[in-house]
Formats: sequence, structure tokens, C-alpha cells
Amino acid sequence: MKIHDIEARMRGKFGDLPLKRDETGVTGASWSIAVPIGDLRDAATEFNAAGFFLESITALDFEDTFELVYHFNCFEPGSRAVVRVLCGHDQVPPSICDIFRGAAWLEREVHDFFGITFSGNVDMRALLLPEDADYYPLRKTFGKVGAYHKREVIYG
Amino acid sequence: MAELEKIEASDRVYSLNLGPQHPSTHGVLRIVLDLDGEYIIKADPVIGYGHRGHEKMGENRPYKQFLPNTSRMDYLSGMLFNHGFVLAVEKLVGIKVPERAKYIRVIASELNRISSHLLWFGTYLMDLGGFTPFLYAFDDREQILDILDSITGSRLTYSYCRFGGVSRDVDLKFIEMTRAFLKRMEKRWADYDSLVTKNVIFIHRTRDVGVIDRELARQYGVTGPNLRACGVAFDVRRSEPYEVYDRLDFEIPTGTKGDALDRYDVRFKEMQQSCRIIDQALDQLPEGEFLTPKVPQKLGPPKGEVYTAFESARGLTAYYMVSDGSPGPYRCHIRVPSFGNLNALNDVLPGTLVADAISILGSIDVVIPEIDR
Repeated sequence: MKIHDIEARMRGKFGDLPLKRDETGVTGASWSIAVPIGDLRDAATEFNAAGFFLESITALDFEDTFELVYHFNCFEPGSRAVVRVLCGHDQVPPSICDIFRGAAWLEREVHDFFGITFSGNVDMRALLLPEDADYYPLRKTFGKVGAYHKREVIYG
Repeated sequence: MAELEKIEASDRVYSLNLGPQHPSTHGVLRIVLDLDGEYIIKADPVIGYGHRGHEKMGENRPYKQFLPNTSRMDYLSGMLFNHGFVLAVEKLVGIKVPERAKYIRVIASELNRISSHLLWFGTYLMDLGGFTPFLYAFDDREQILDILDSITGSRLTYSYCRFGGVSRDVDLKFIEMTRAFLKRMEKRWADYDSLVTKNVIFIHRTRDVGVIDRELARQYGVTGPNLRACGVAFDVRRSEPYEVYDRLDFEIPTGTKGDALDRYDVRFKEMQQSCRIIDQALDQLPEGEFLTPKVPQKLGPPKGEVYTAFESARGLTAYYMVSDGSPGPYRCHIRVPSFGNLNALNDVLPGTLVADAISILGSIDVVIPEIDR
């Protein structure tokens, strides 16, 4: 099973602490790993080498930080894993579009909605929003929202 | 003549806008093609014409109010998207679903999958120049719309599922209509096979056209029939079985090369497998409740997140929701399959003829409002 291989490799690289298993199945993934922003490309390279595909990239907007959430999966049953990266509101995460070709569009979508620029992705044109859009609709400061929390309110 | 040869290759390149109002783009999609004669050297799909902000809408209203939005993303498989959303919320809140409701949902979902594939079947062949199959396919599809209309009250944007069940029970008339439909289709598959699958013009337009191999599919996150056409038997109904799919006997059709003909074959066989699933589900359909009565009007899910994947007609679809404990999600993200499927065209189209581009675009079966969300 590829998911066990990659888990061992991740533990070897980042240690046991940042890796959280999910026994309940609610998060849809076997485990998730919190990776520092500088190691994101290393983690993605490992997943690519292990034969995974990139299912989705999305961001969460908290009062104190952004969090990027990468879902990886491979063509085997129950093999989803999550890479989570904390990214300050003024930080520029590295792009992984040269590792996974499909990441280029997903990063453009995140840029559209949250205004996060990915360094190394040369094409940051608007994807879903109009070309001249100067707003970031999924930020909690835009439009009508229920609440704007710090990250610890939800994830403890 | 001598002067013509002096012109640089870059001067011979011209751009062509395929869409946004092109009949074969099936929605408002524009592809900027750079052409050298009849050959495509670069393709840049431009999307977003139908962006409505479903994710934002999900975040500023309660879960229940978002329910009708779900079937308006992929309007051709609305039941499947509706189904997936209630699965996600039920998993997050921890709502039990009665057995009967699970079967009803599976039957309705598979009927919707067939109707979505039939529409693709008809329009794809019309793109390739065959008008007759379109009329047959729409006649069959109309039967499904009538069946679903009788239980959901709508023809396209179904909002049939509820948290903890479905909005209305099925009756004997529904079962009779569905059985009659299955019987009718048995003969139809043979007709379609001799009318289309063995048609030499059709084969020439699709064989070895627009090959998506395993590695390219992995790079772009291509899923669904487009992935299975290149020989990977990956289906969420099998890899992460939800509802009662693990109790039903069905095959996952796969192709070998990953060309347009394989994609056609996979979808064609998938419709027959869906018929098998419906047939078994009707046999096993238990008596009992169709909706849990105990679900509160205002949901109070625990803090945390949920990610639920399901197989829509176009591939792996998923709802990702983060809950802060309030009656609506803090973040609602939808992973849609057509996004990756269309993205792969960046690599598939270069080197092909413009005429083949229409065939390739049709064969990957994109629904643009689903990508735009």
C-alpha cells in the first residue's frame, strides 16, 4: 500500500509529532501532516515520487493566519492524505506547479479567492473571477460572513 | 512562393477563439487556440464565465439552505451532487440514515448517472456529425426524467435528499416505471451498439484521438470515466464505498489506451452497470422509514472538519467543510472532477487538428458550471 510507504517516509523526514491519524474517518483521510511552509515542496515531491495525485488545494482564512490544505490521493482504496501548511497573511508560499502540473490551476483558484500569491507559478491571471477583479471573495473580510475566528477556536 | 518560405514560423501562428458561444463547448467555455495551419500548437482554456460563488454562498447560510445550491453546480448530475452534500453533513453531524433511504438514494443517483451519460452520448455524437443517436438518447433520457420527476418534483435540479433520508418515499408506481425502463434499455444497448459503436466513421473520428495516459491523468488529477479509459480501475463507489454500494455487485469498466474511443466505451458500459445496480437495489429495497424524524431543524455540528468524496458522473467529487460549531460551515470547498479533466487539455490538444479538438472536448464530457462553481 502506497499510503503506508509515504507515511513512513513522512515520519522519517518530519518526525512523528506533526502527523495526526484520523481513526473516525470524518476527515476522509488516513492522516494529516502539518508541514512548515519551507518544506512544502519537499513534501509534494515525496507524494509525487510515491505515485500520488493532487486532489485539491484550498485555503482557510483565520484572523491570525491562512492555512493551505493539500489533499493527495492515489489509485488505491482509502489512500487519502492531507498536507497542511500555515501561511501568514503576508507570506508567499512556494508553488508546486512544476511537481504536479494540475497544481497551476488550483493555485490560480486559491489566488483568485484569497489573494495568496505562489512564488514560482508564472501564470497568476484570474481563473474564475473577472480579469479586473481587485477583491478576494473568500476572505472573511469580504461580504456577509458568520464569524471570523482565530485558528485555535476551531482546531484547538 | 520564395517570399512565402521566408516568413518565420512565429508569423504563421494565429489565434482562434473556440467559444465562448460555440455549440460544442456545452456551456460557456472559451479555448484560445494557437494554430499553425490546421494544427494546434497551444491551447489555453479560459473558464469562469459562469462563476456564481457557490463556496461563498455555502459559508454565509445554514447547511440546510445550501442544499438546493448543490444540484446547480453540475446540473446534469444534480442528484449526485445533492447526495454527496447530505453524506458530508450527515458524517459531520453524525446522523443515522434508514436503510430504505440509502437504497432510494442509490437508485435515484444511478438513474441520474444514466441520464447524464445519455445526454453526453447524444450530444457527443451530434458534435461528430451524427444526428440520429441524439434523438434516441433524448427519448431514453426523457423516461428517466419522468421517473425522477415523479418522486422529486423536478426534472433537472433535484433537491431530493434530506439530512437523514429523502424528502418523499417511493411508491409502487415508481418501482414499476423503473423496472419498465430497465427492460426497455436492455434492447436499446444492442441498438446503440450496432448504430454507433461499430460505425466506421465514428471509429475514425475517435480512435487514437486525444490520448490521456495514466501518467498525464495523475499529473492533472483526472478522474472518473476519463481515468478509467486509460486502464485504472479507480472508482469512489469501490475504493471508499458509501451508502450500500458494497452490497451491490457491479463491474468497473476500463479501457486500455485512454483515447476518445475508450472513453466512449467506458461510459457506454457504465450505463449498463448502473442498470445492474438499480436492478439489484430494487430487489433488495427494504420496508421502513425513508427519513429519520429526529433530525433537528437547526444543526449544531461539532468543531472540526469533514471531507466526503463520492463518484459523480464525471469523476471524484468531494465536499470539504470546516465547522466552527455554528449552524453553517466556516469554510465550504467543493472539489469538482471536470476541473482537472479540462485542465489536462493543456497537454492533450497541442499537436492535434482543430477538427479533432471538437472530438476530444466532447469526449472528456465537461460541464462548465461545475468547474466555475
